[in-house]
Amino acid sequence: MGVTILTQFNTENRSGPQNIEILSKRILALGATQQGQFLVDCETYTSVPQLGHQRTVHVLHNSEQPATVFSLLETGAKTIPLATDGLFDLLMMKMSHFYTSKKQTKSESKGPRYEIGDFCVKLGTVTVSSNFKGVLVEVEYRPCVVPAMCWDLLKEFLQGFLGLSGPTTPPTYLQNRMQENYSPIDTIHQYLEHFTMFRKSPGIGMRP
Amino acid sequence: MSAPGNAMDSLSAALKCNIIPNQEYLLQGSVLDQYVEVLLHRLRGLCDNVDSGPESFHDHELCFSLRIANTGATTPMSVFSLRVRRALDVSDTPYQLRYIGQQELGDKNRPTVVRSSIDMACSSTIVDFLTELGCRVDFEYIARGYMFRKGRMKITVSKIFKMGGNKPGETVEPISQSYLVELSVLAPSGQDAIAEDMRIFAEQLRPLVQLEKIDYKRLGNIM
Amino acid sequence: MSYSVNISVEATIENQIQEIQYDGTEIYQPPLTLSESLAKYAQKIDFSKTSEVDIKKEESSEDSKSDTDSKDAFQSSIWPWDSVRTKLRSSLQEICVLADVLAIAKEKRYLVLDPVQQEPLETKPMVQIYARKKALGGAANVLLAGAEKMKNSQTEAARNRTTLDFHIELLRLRQNWRLKKVSNTIIGDLSYRTTGSKYLQTGTFEVTKAEDEEKPSSPPSSPLPGGPIPSKPNSALRVSIPTELQGVAYIEVLCQKDQEDLCSVNLNLMGTAPPPSNPDMHWQQKLEAAQNVLFCKELFNQLAKEAVQLQAPIPHMVVGNQIMATVLPGIQLIIGLRHSTSGDKKQQTPPPSKSDHDHVLEHSLHQLLREVHHKNTHHPFPHPATGPLGPSKKRMLAGPLAADRHELLEMTKTQTLLEQIVQQAQHFIMRMRTEYVLDTIAKEVKDPLISSHWNTLNSPTHSCVKIHISTHGYDAVCRTPLIIHVGEKSLKCICRDGKVMNMSYEPQELRDLIFCHISQHQIVAVQALAKTMGWQALGNSNHLGTGAVEPLGNSSSCLLSSPTGDRIIAVRCEPQAGPQVSVAHSPRTDFFPSRLVTERKWEHLGGQFRDVRLDKMEGRNFLHKMELLMASLTSNS
Repeated sequence: MGVTILTQFNTENRSGPQNIEILSKRILALGATQQGQFLVDCETYTSVPQLGHQRTVHVLHNSEQPATVFSLLETGAKTIPLATDGLFDLLMMKMSHFYTSKKQTKSESKGPRYEIGDFCVKLGTVTVSSNFKGVLVEVEYRPCVVPAMCWDLLKEFLQGFLGLSGPTTPPTYLQNRMQENYSPIDTIHQYLEHFTMFRKSPGIGMRP
Repeated sequence: MSAPGNAMDSLSAALKCNIIPNQEYLLQGSVLDQYVEVLLHRLRGLCDNVDSGPESFHDHELCFSLRIANTGATTPMSVFSLRVRRALDVSDTPYQLRYIGQQELGDKNRPTVVRSSIDMACSSTIVDFLTELGCRVDFEYIARGYMFRKGRMKITVSKIFKMGGNKPGETVEPISQSYLVELSVLAPSGQDAIAEDMRIFAEQLRPLVQLEKIDYKRLGNIM
Repeated sequence: MSYSVNISVEATIENQIQEIQYDGTEIYQPPLTLSESLAKYAQKIDFSKTSEVDIKKEESSEDSKSDTDSKDAFQSSIWPWDSVRTKLRSSLQEICVLADVLAIAKEKRYLVLDPVQQEPLETKPMVQIYARKKALGGAANVLLAGAEKMKNSQTEAARNRTTLDFHIELLRLRQNWRLKKVSNTIIGDLSYRTTGSKYLQTGTFEVTKAEDEEKPSSPPSSPLPGGPIPSKPNSALRVSIPTELQGVAYIEVLCQKDQEDLCSVNLNLMGTAPPPSNPDMHWQQKLEAAQNVLFCKELFNQLAKEAVQLQAPIPHMVVGNQIMATVLPGIQLIIGLRHSTSGDKKQQTPPPSKSDHDHVLEHSLHQLLREVHHKNTHHPFPHPATGPLGPSKKRMLAGPLAADRHELLEMTKTQTLLEQIVQQAQHFIMRMRTEYVLDTIAKEVKDPLISSHWNTLNSPTHSCVKIHISTHGYDAVCRTPLIIHVGEKSLKCICRDGKVMNMSYEPQELRDLIFCHISQHQIVAVQALAKTMGWQALGNSNHLGTGAVEPLGNSSSCLLSSPTGDRIIAVRCEPQAGPQVSVAHSPRTDFFPSRLVTERKWEHLGGQFRDVRLDKMEGRNFLHKMELLMASLTSNS
């Protein structure tokens, strides 16, 4: 478990598979080896109107932590994270009277997973309710848990294979937490941030 | 390595294969304080691995419920209750979130109560999470006692305490002069054979404790 | 058949016996009076029979009539209710007759009804008496035999109070073993199933009373005169054990180098067990032996299963009752199950143990399976109490703490028994090799001294040894400590300066390392000694680049100058060749100006080094010689 930076890759009018292919070639050229696939998905539930002011529950799964279901509850004022066993999904089904899922917002990011030294790189194709939306690149630096101490290293690494479209500032979610210990829920927060952005953005209209 | 499947897909597959233990077989009873030692002694004789003495526990349980008032005639009032429990005596243990469904008493031939139960370990943010979700705390209590194991069966002998102060453990007073005795098994649905085993085990505790199918609805009528 | 005798049978004239009194007098029945005998005979007539015959006659006559009558009548005769009708008719007739008879009898003018004494059933009283006599005799015999047996056992118990009562013995047995009663037999279980074993073989035995088997040899009637019985039973209990659990078994563990044994361990839980064939062995020992057999079988079975399943670089071999696993190159671990029943007992006894038993390995093999058993039954309890039974605390936390795939995989990994025992054997050999290397070096090298201290506390797969290199008489001046961690397949040495050296299982590597450290120790010690002598260390190098190439390691050296600076000692120490010492004087004691060296001050630059022949010098060891050398050079000036 280390620090993870999630960044969107500028598509430059290329299709999703083309983008993934280019990035794969670059990362393989650096000496990475592919270690399977990964998948992060997100489903969003909203409260029924009888329950008072609207609240949203995002339920996310990350294949990196297969025994865990992450949930983020947004009340408007604050966001409360929760990590539970796999059976939480079953509970959400039972709660269908109170919280209904919005199928059209079901998002996921999936693709190949590479390891290169202490880094783990994941190239994800993002789809929102099966519509292609973009490419997310996740880079994890495993030996360190404090973002501030490895941000520069990560930035350099990212720029090394993303080129100019690499990030120059830390992700907004992390900016206030640079000195804190990083935990897997922080990765989930970043994914949710990006998924929310993708949902709002107009679809590119290309199927991956 | 194959591509990881969607979590929901694998969950529904597990549901289909019936490997998720979501049924709780339950028998309940009580024993007066002065006889609890006798009961513990008997349980030590009957249960597995009590060579190191019975395992004690000290838990704090909060009962939440999520309810919608019946706004119209067509929608009946629906209540959804959840229990959060945590250990006070052992550190580094997760919070336990529990959904317990309607209990089925069944006919006389069925030896135990069967109720659906979803049990999961969760992080400590669960209390905030449920509060913000719209749940409200119905009641809370402290349970302290011993647990035993016999095969797949779990036997708990617990004393229930009222919460006095705001913080758990400040001032607690016992709710009654007796201990609650529960015999339960968590199993995937359809494993009714275990209920028979439970009945046989409960027989062995008689007449010290009468472990029975307790009908809460009937209790409600009495009070 | 050729001739027959006529036997005439006639009724006895005597009257029937009514009663036989206790004194034997028989009371006869009085003979019947005439009217009584008439009544008796009249009673014997079966009236119903005659009437039936009459009816049949009537019917047949009717039938003959109706046959001639018409077809309707014929049909009526086979009418289904016909028989019922006729029966009803006849019963009506009888009722009518009965009513008539009753009416007549009531008048008491024409008919008187006399009570008739019912004749006792036609029985043969003598036969009955004989039968009863016989039955009673049988019952009496049973009771007598029972009484005899009780009397016998009581007298025996009274005479021989040391023999224990069957029930007391049974109670003792029950305190240590699991027993249950199945119909008339007592069945016991000596398997380890209740303690977590999942081995399929059953370990049932039967408990019988020893006395029952002796009975045929000694008739119960004779109360065994003459004190001790030839086969004196030790106990009133006899346990019969299935044949596959009889005898004695043990697991033999051998570490073999090519064909020669490095060590041999006999795992025998019984320790010094008496020969198994002895039928008079006490049941406790007998049961323990059988349980030991079962345990060894389970252990071997488990190991064999693992040996087949495990994917080792050099595959494990399972042949018959033997498992062979390669521990280190050229060294095999051989685990064998030796089970000797009473038959081939003599073959098993002779093999002499080549080396003494290693009780550590013996204990650990024993322990490993017990640990498996323990884990099978001791599941952790959940906290809080409503949690599910089964998953470990770590697994329970995996969800909330978001354990990643690697951590989850680690949780599922378990080491098999064979892997663990192979590791322990590897460590055992590594430790032995290390010991051997250290001991031989200590023997070979007298200067400096090598002392090793083994930690008393170690784990089965890890131990630690601390080595001190010091010179006799100078251990306060300089001492080189080394710590060597002995693992399963490698050694880790932590040097004086904190450097960590990892070595493989080859003992030569350790040997070389120690020699390098010895040479370095000499140089360091000389410098420390120089300091105490007021000499000055001009420089030193642990890895000298000059000179001939060393076969192992590098030579180290140092330069020392005397307090006044006019003498210089150079020491070079090679791991193999040992120390060399050279001395230089500056300035030379005599000075003759020449054209090149015009002034005396140039002589301070140092002169030529001349070798010191250390072996000719006086002194106990190298440091002592150096001390003498330095002292002599100092005083000379």
